[in-house]
Amino acid sequence: MSEQWFERDPQWFRRAVFYEIHIRGFYDGNGDGSGDFRGLIEKLDYLQWLGVDCIWLLPMYPSPLRDGGYDISDFFSIHPDYGTVEDFREFVEQSHQRGIRVIADLVMNHTSSDHPWFQESRTDPTGPKGDWYVWSDTDEPYQDARVIFLDSEASNWTFDPVRGQYYWHRFFHHQPDLNYANPEVQEEMLDVLRFWLDLGIDGFRLDAVPYLYEAEGTNCENLPRTHEYLKRARAEVDARYPDRVLLAEANQWPADVVQYFGNGDGDECHMAFHFPVMPRMFMSVRREDATPIYEILDLTPGIPDNCQWGLFLRNHDELTLEMVTDEERDYMYAEYAKDPRMKINLGIRRRLAPLLDNGRDEIALLHAILFSLPGSPVLYYGDEIMMGDNVYLGDRDGVRTPMQWTGDRNAGFSRADWAQLYLQPLMDPVYGYQAVNVEAQLRTPTSFLRWLHLFIALRKEHPVFGLGSYEPLRPENPRIFAHIRRFEEDIVLCVHNLANSAQAVELDLRAFDGMVPEEMLGRTRFPAIGELPYLLTLAPRGFFWFQLKQAAE
Amino acid sequence: MSYDERALIEYVTQQRWYGAKSRGVAHAQVLDSAVLRTQEPQLALALVEVRYETGAHDLYQLLVSHREGEPELNGLTDDPSLARELVSAMRSGLTVQSGEGAVEFHHLEGFAGLGRELGNARTIEAEQSNTSIAFDELILKAFRRLEAGINPELELLRFLSDRAFPNVAALGGWYAYTGGPLNATLGILQAYVPDAQDGWDLALDALADDPELFLARARRLGEVTGELHTALGSEPNDPAFAPETPSDETLGLLTATVDEEIANVFLSLPEGDERIEPIAGRGEEVREQLRLLTHGGTIGKAIRIHGDYHLGQTLWSRHDWTIIDFEGEPARSLAERRRKRSPLRDVAGMLRSFAYASIAAGLLRGADVPDDWEPRAREQFLDGYLATVDQSLLPNGPVGIERLLTVFELEKAVYELRYELDNRPDWVGIPVAAIRRLIESAAPAP
Repeated sequence: MSEQWFERDPQWFRRAVFYEIHIRGFYDGNGDGSGDFRGLIEKLDYLQWLGVDCIWLLPMYPSPLRDGGYDISDFFSIHPDYGTVEDFREFVEQSHQRGIRVIADLVMNHTSSDHPWFQESRTDPTGPKGDWYVWSDTDEPYQDARVIFLDSEASNWTFDPVRGQYYWHRFFHHQPDLNYANPEVQEEMLDVLRFWLDLGIDGFRLDAVPYLYEAEGTNCENLPRTHEYLKRARAEVDARYPDRVLLAEANQWPADVVQYFGNGDGDECHMAFHFPVMPRMFMSVRREDATPIYEILDLTPGIPDNCQWGLFLRNHDELTLEMVTDEERDYMYAEYAKDPRMKINLGIRRRLAPLLDNGRDEIALLHAILFSLPGSPVLYYGDEIMMGDNVYLGDRDGVRTPMQWTGDRNAGFSRADWAQLYLQPLMDPVYGYQAVNVEAQLRTPTSFLRWLHLFIALRKEHPVFGLGSYEPLRPENPRIFAHIRRFEEDIVLCVHNLANSAQAVELDLRAFDGMVPEEMLGRTRFPAIGELPYLLTLAPRGFFWFQLKQAAE
Repeated sequence: MSYDERALIEYVTQQRWYGAKSRGVAHAQVLDSAVLRTQEPQLALALVEVRYETGAHDLYQLLVSHREGEPELNGLTDDPSLARELVSAMRSGLTVQSGEGAVEFHHLEGFAGLGRELGNARTIEAEQSNTSIAFDELILKAFRRLEAGINPELELLRFLSDRAFPNVAALGGWYAYTGGPLNATLGILQAYVPDAQDGWDLALDALADDPELFLARARRLGEVTGELHTALGSEPNDPAFAPETPSDETLGLLTATVDEEIANVFLSLPEGDERIEPIAGRGEEVREQLRLLTHGGTIGKAIRIHGDYHLGQTLWSRHDWTIIDFEGEPARSLAERRRKRSPLRDVAGMLRSFAYASIAAGLLRGADVPDDWEPRAREQFLDGYLATVDQSLLPNGPVGIERLLTVFELEKAVYELRYELDNRPDWVGIPVAAIRRLIESAAPAP
């Protein structure tokens, strides 16, 4: 019997702050040079202090690790570097005791080519697994499907000399797509969900969901049968596992992504990432112009009441530029990836702090905008201490270096030998662990970590940020991103200055005539709102959040 | 048996142990029940779920008596002699099946009191989370609000009783529920401490009549506390008790937490109140002291501790101290109460209790407390404590101990400041004095 640590709350994810963890890079509990679940358990007190509501784990399953673990070779086990299923169960239990939920990455679309299912499928075409992957005699079907990993793959088909046929893969050639047209595959993947849900997990981040099914004459993305299958998975979860969440990774335009919420019925995924808003936040800061943010939010359709956007600044992948125009992409490369090593596929492989030239004001401003938008913020490990990256490492390893806990040996990440570490922690004078680490920032009241901690607490005090409406104000000054959030009696006014210079702005707040704005961090009362435009001045990259209160309060 | 929902709500919400006074109750229902006594008056144990309008819920233990079919929800306090039924069930190690699970009764081998006749049963003034029934030599404590998992009071008393630790009221038995809704400790049976006076009353009486009397006993209280921690930190092979080395960032987390709490309290200090004048506007000085105190240094081990340690949790009886009430802070979750912490947290709690006693004696008893009473009580207590505690559980060296202890005391004083401002403005001088003393003393050098 599982212990119940949480009050029943089917909407918890709408007010939650998520924190993404690369297990290998977080903390090494057994001294072998790689992070693991025992180590993660030791750091839960830190995450509880930070205010994390839900941990999102990158893939934790056995894997040859040719794609950071997104190439799974066994869905029912834990990668031996990270521990055992028992360690995982203990981790979930310990997290729950601290009021922290846990979701994990799950790749439903494909497996590693090392997976026994694939090995069986290629060697025994007429056997039980013969039809579990998408095989073809030619590489001609589905020509309208784009190639996603442009830098490394020429086609979505690869010839397998063993079976003498081509197999379909939307990502790397060592990641063959599962054949969802086969009912056995459908059922098996539901069993995978059940296995982890029975262990107490609070949900899944479903990787690469748009690609489950293929159909000739389409781009093989977001197909109706894919949605049907996800609805089936959701129904399965709802029936037996209350308060769990399915978070869709669908790097698509908002109008397509909302389909993953279930066409207005809210019966598919609970959450989906809002990909396109992310590059536009960076664009707005660099251009000192709020227009890109306003525009993308205007293009974002409403979603069902029981659903939520997942919002983020950076994650374990490249800063993806798939959902921008060619012109915008050129702009982003020119501004944020001056060294060609920083580019990968259609994106930029850098961490948050280096992207913003380590500018504290810019980093705080972007967090303020992120936290003010309708959705649940997802933080990426290390960004809370303004960790750097290493562009000289291959693929996306540069943003997956060890968490910097202290200024001691190995950044306090591991007791193993330096050479034994899966990757060495950063040592450069600006981002190196002697300058940038959790322990030092905890002790420094003015550190970014301490600021973010207070800011997370502030956001969580006000459910309006998770549950409220979004009402853009669009003042005449284009450098200002200002909007109202409203939920029941709680009204919040958020004003952000994207410019690198002080700005004045006049806001039309007549709808709130007579109310008094109270600045939320310092609880200072500002002059009451009247009939005239409300004048505010903001410091360079500055922002204000106000709670609008009745004058008599 | 059926229960009327309205009667359940009315009864539960009016009890002292009902924890959610400000919440709107939407529903109440009996999730499971077991009949403990079949003759008149019957006795049944009921697990009552209270659902709030917000969708949350709590679970309570009710002991219901039935006379001629009429349920009396207040069964145990209405007729304390019914508690004998629970004691005799422990004595015989009964398991009583319920609809969804079972209530299991246990006793410790060789607990002499169980074999004797139970004397007069009487209800002890109810505490916040439980109901206690005292017999002549035994006391039964029924936990009212139930949480999944073992109750720390049972866990610690069992551990200490197994090791024959002399300064607790020995555990005799317990009863617990196992079943569909949850697994939880329902109650415990302990030896009743005879001729006892609680430490708080003792200190206040002494301050009114003979201040030296308490000082002589403070050293013994320190020794007993040290022995308690040594015992609690003595079992490396039991994961629930094995001492742990805290993570590298533990001191940093503590510093950040206390620092933010200081900043927060000083941000909202009322203006123009002369009681807080000595510290008004001096938040930055307090934070500076905290920084000096936590700059470097070690923190020793984390072990299971008492968790809510103050004079009111001690009894003076027959020339020695008995430590009671190992439930931990009732407002915290059970998992949090079971977490390992520095033993110096308990020490800080007791030292703050001395500060309260020295002022309360003036406020409540009109005593004229000598200025040096509190420092002397502290010194006596700490001398006794350091003489008996296992030093490996503490930070390295006397300065390290003093620094960490000061941080914990500051943390408590800041909490007290907020609490007293909100609830008992007359008492606000107590934490103000502690904070002022910290600002005006130089932090011990590393």
